[in-house]
This record gives sequence, structure tokens and C-alpha cells, in this order.
Amino acid sequence: MTVHPIIAALRRHKAGVILIGLQIALTLAIVCNAVFIIGQRISRVDRPTGINESNLFLVTQQYVGAPSSDTKAGADKLDTMELEDAAALRQLPSVAKVSVISSMPLLNSAWNGGMSTKPQAKSGFKMTTYYFGDQNMLSTLGAQLVAGRDFNAGDVQHAGFRTDAKRPVVIVTQSLAHKLFPNGSALGKTVYMDGSGSPSTIIGIVKRLQTPSTSDWASSFAYDSTLIPTRKDAFFSRYLVRAKPGQMKAAMAAAHDALFKVNPMRVIDDDMGIRSFASIRAEAYKQDVSMAILMGAVCIILLALTAAGIVGLTSFWVGQRTKQIGVRRALGARGIDILRYFQLENLFIAGMGVVVGLLLAIGVNQWLVQHFEMDRMPLGYLFVGVLVVLVLGQLAVFVPARRASRVPPVTATRSV
Amino acid sequence: MLKMTHLSKVYRTEVVETYALRDFSIDVKEGEFVAVTGPSGSGKTTFLTIAGLLETFTGGSYHLDGVDVSHLNDNARSKIRNEKIGFIFQAFNLIPDLNVYDNVEVPLRYRGMKAAERKKRIMESLERVGLSSRLKHYPAELSGGQQQRVAIARALAGSPRLLLADEPTGNLDTQMARGVMELLEDIHREGATIVMVTHDPELATRAQRNVHVIDGQVVDVAEDRVFSTSQLAEHSPA
Repeated sequence: MTVHPIIAALRRHKAGVILIGLQIALTLAIVCNAVFIIGQRISRVDRPTGINESNLFLVTQQYVGAPSSDTKAGADKLDTMELEDAAALRQLPSVAKVSVISSMPLLNSAWNGGMSTKPQAKSGFKMTTYYFGDQNMLSTLGAQLVAGRDFNAGDVQHAGFRTDAKRPVVIVTQSLAHKLFPNGSALGKTVYMDGSGSPSTIIGIVKRLQTPSTSDWASSFAYDSTLIPTRKDAFFSRYLVRAKPGQMKAAMAAAHDALFKVNPMRVIDDDMGIRSFASIRAEAYKQDVSMAILMGAVCIILLALTAAGIVGLTSFWVGQRTKQIGVRRALGARGIDILRYFQLENLFIAGMGVVVGLLLAIGVNQWLVQHFEMDRMPLGYLFVGVLVVLVLGQLAVFVPARRASRVPPVTATRSV
Repeated sequence: MLKMTHLSKVYRTEVVETYALRDFSIDVKEGEFVAVTGPSGSGKTTFLTIAGLLETFTGGSYHLDGVDVSHLNDNARSKIRNEKIGFIFQAFNLIPDLNVYDNVEVPLRYRGMKAAERKKRIMESLERVGLSSRLKHYPAELSGGQQQRVAIARALAGSPRLLLADEPTGNLDTQMARGVMELLEDIHREGATIVMVTHDPELATRAQRNVHVIDGQVVDVAEDRVFSTSQLAEHSPA
């Protein structure tokens, strides 16, 4: 069986062919782009933070009636309170490590700035996110130091929230180090933050540490973090806690009681006060996951509708052509010839839909690139999309085609 | 060519058995033109569908061109239909979506014949029925007589050993029917074996032999009873 008789017959049923062809084209265009978006979202969600995410939780609390950190006395008082809190948490039997820290990856609460290799620079900054904390910051996060050294107690200072303290030493991520010093090691080099003339020496380099922001605008510096050994004193504080293995729940419950025991004049939000890193991650990527689920549902619905359309049209055609099928059988067609006829017919219609669909898919992607700053879709998505649509068509047509193949040849002699 | 012996066809339901053919025997020799007549419901169409391997039978035996077709599977029956049998139906049964050329080509494609050979046979058979100028016409654009001629061309294109005609003039007016019958007679004269089912006794007289069927049984066989006008003319002494 060749395609000529199929094409000849299809030319007499243009409306059905065009409708199904367009449905296939639209499905291909939308599914390709939707799957591409899903892929992008999944790769965003799956990207590594660079920290050891297990047994980690964050405590965020606010002091009630605390002094202002704008004065030295106030900052000193707040710092003392923070140290007492950290010490109380550290003494819990279920806790392994504690760090006073300003933020953490995926928290979407970031202190961003610009880093330069030149003092008092006006331009040429490399965007970065600052993590302020004590000497336990890196080890509690579980980030991997690949060069230099970690902070020690002597490096750590404290400063009021809005006080512009000097930052003599910093640790940066490999990604930021490479951007600042593309031609050599950043270790021991001097950098300047936010256009200041105050030098900071890079004493360590971390393999990877994601920034708190998961927004698209921050994706260009998602791994360009800077760790600064300064406890930022404010009316609120954050403590990063690593529980001992298997004691996460106990540690989270005990942390709450321990902090209130130290100082009851505080507020710890029931929902957001003590959060496991898993919940922080889930919250950070909630929109991405929702978008991926939505796009997945759209794909499934579209594919199901297309399959239903193919089944419907083919069933209609089989019913309409029952006598004709009987005649073909009488003239020598085997059941497999009839099956093949309908499979090929669908392949031909789907093929036409695929050609239009490919152009549409590229057009839609181009539009998304221009208007939503999406990446260009790799050809692999189109290839897989075409394969899915063609296979779907063949599967959808199989049931009515098999029914057609079972039309007995004696039908040719009957009035159908 | 076609030999049925004590053949039966029973349609069974949960409560009743209906014999469409009962102890049905017939022997059609190569080159014969046999008319099978009988009233409506007598079983003549059932005979034709079984003879054409469109349907299976319940009992007895059937040899077609020397082959016992009793136990052939569906594919083997399709192959025999395609290679040995040409069908001419009362309702023509052309495929409305295909033009004349493509319609005649249908059985040849199922035979896996090469395009050049197909084209040669299609042109020859359409010329034979006088429709070689209507290749691109669709069935709906032809008269009933022309459609039946296309159906005959389709049956002839595969050079079948046996032509089975089911009321071939049943849907035609008198003039067209005459033309189709003359064509069948010509084809027979050229050596084809034809079995024609008809309920029209007058049409049956045009055949070489007349087999009468009532209640699924052969009740009367009149051999060489009547020749067609043209045959008579041909066999008349000069």
C-alpha cells in the first residue's frame, strides 16, 4: 500500500483532515513549549544549593522591646542577646551546630551588593549576595571550602544593622572568584564592596553556595555569594541550626523552648519562625513547581483531546466507510492491509500537522524569548515532541483501525 | 473450476438454526457461463458469497480451481479472492473517493504488482469496457452503466479465473442492462468462467447454463438450455 490512494481519498475529506491536522499542529506547538518550560522549571528546582540540606533548620525571631542597633550600646546589647540565644541552642542535646546568620540559600531574603577589584569603583561591579554571620557559618551550612581557610573567632566582629563596618576578610564562591579574577586565583586578592575604598582580602573560596533569591532577575549571579564574618545586630535575628542525624524534629521543638527560656521577650512566628530547610526549599520553588504541574496538566489535556479527536474522526470514517472496507476486503485486502491503510492515513495527516506544528512551535518560542526572556528551545524538544505526537496518533488510531480491519468481506454484498 | 459438494450454510442464533444453503452441490466447468436463479431469500446470494470466499460455510466441501478452500485462513482466502476471483456487484461498489483509474487499480495494489504492470492492465481493461477516456472521473460523475463497466474493468484487470456477478444489471435501466450483459457475454466468449446470480429469468436465459435455487437447494439444472443471441449468431451455419 502506497500513499497515493490515501492522499487521493483524503483530498475528498479536506475539512476533517484540516481540523485534525491543525489540532495536531497546535498540540505540538504548545506541548513542545510547555515541556520546555517544565524542563526549565525542573532544572531550576533541581539545581544544587551547595550546602548540606539534611538536618538543617532556620530559626527567625524578633525581640520585643529591644534597643536600636544604631547606637553602639544598643548593638552591643543585641549582640549579647544573640550570643546567649546561640549558646542556648548549641547546648541542646539534639543540636550539632549553630550559626548566627543573616540569611541562607533559597530564603528569598537577601542582602545584595556589587563587588569590584578596584577601590571606590563607579562601575564594573560583579553582583553578589552577602551572607553575614559568625565563624560557624560555613560549617553549619555544610558548604565545601576548596581553597584558603574558614573564618576563626578572631575574624568575627559585630555591627549594627545599618552600620557600615569594615570587612577585612571575606570568603567568596568559586563562581564569583572567577568573575572577579578570570585569569588567576582569587585567594589572597583584595576586593572592594559597593564602591567603597575599604579593602577586603579573600581568605577562602567555597565550591558552591547559592544565593537566597530564586527570582529570575537574580539568576545571573545565583552562585555569586560572599561570606562576611560579621554578626549583624538588629531587633530580629536568625540562627541556622544543624540537628544531629535523626533528631531534626526534636531539635526544632527544643529550640523553641530553649529560646523562650533564655529570654521570653520575643516573638517566634508559629509558621515561619522555625522552618526546616526542606520547607524553605518547597516555599522557594512553589511557583516553579505549580507552573510545571500546570504546564504538565495542559500537555496531558491537549494530548488527550488530540487523541480523542483522532479516535473520533477515525471511528466516524470507519463507520462511514464500512461498505468500502468490505469492498476492499472482497477485492483481496487482508485485515492487516486495512489496518495499515488507517495507520498510514493518520501518519499522513499527523505528518502535515507536524510540519505546521514545528513552525508554530518555533514561532511561539520566539515570541516567548522576545516577551518573557525565555531561553531558545533546543531542537531536541521539537524532535521529542514530533515523536510523541506521531506515536500518539498511531496509538489513537489503532483501536478504530483494528475495528476496520475486522470488517468482514461479505459486507461488500450488504446494504450498509 | 468451482465445485461445491453437499455444501451447507447454517446461521445459528440462541433459539433457532436457519439453513441458508442445504445439501447444495454445483459443478461449474472452466469457460462456463452459469446463471444461478431463484426467488428472494432462496440462498443464491449466500451461494455467491461462499463461492467468492466472502463467507465461510458450515458443512460439505468446496474446491475452487482445484484447491480445497474449506480450511484456508483469512489471509489465504484474501489472496485467492485477489488473484482468482473477479467480483461484479449489483451496487457496483466502486470506491467513491477514488477516480476510475484508482478504482481499477485497487485489487492490483493488493497483489503487490509493479506500477508499470498495473498501468498496462488498467488501461487494457478500461479500453475493454470502453471507458479509457474517463480515467480521472469519479464514480459520482458516471452513469450507472458506466459505473458497472468500471466495476467490470476492475474485475477483469486482475485476469481472474472466475468472474462472480451478483445481479449485475439490477440497478440499471433496460438499455444500460443490455449493454452490460453484452459485455459479459463478450467476456465469456473470450474464455472467462462466469457465475451470475440473478432473480430475472429472462436474464438467466442469456447464460449457458441455468441453476435454479429454492430454499437453499439446487432444484433444477438446465444445461446448455439457452444461448445468447450473439452466441446463436456465432454458432449459426453460414
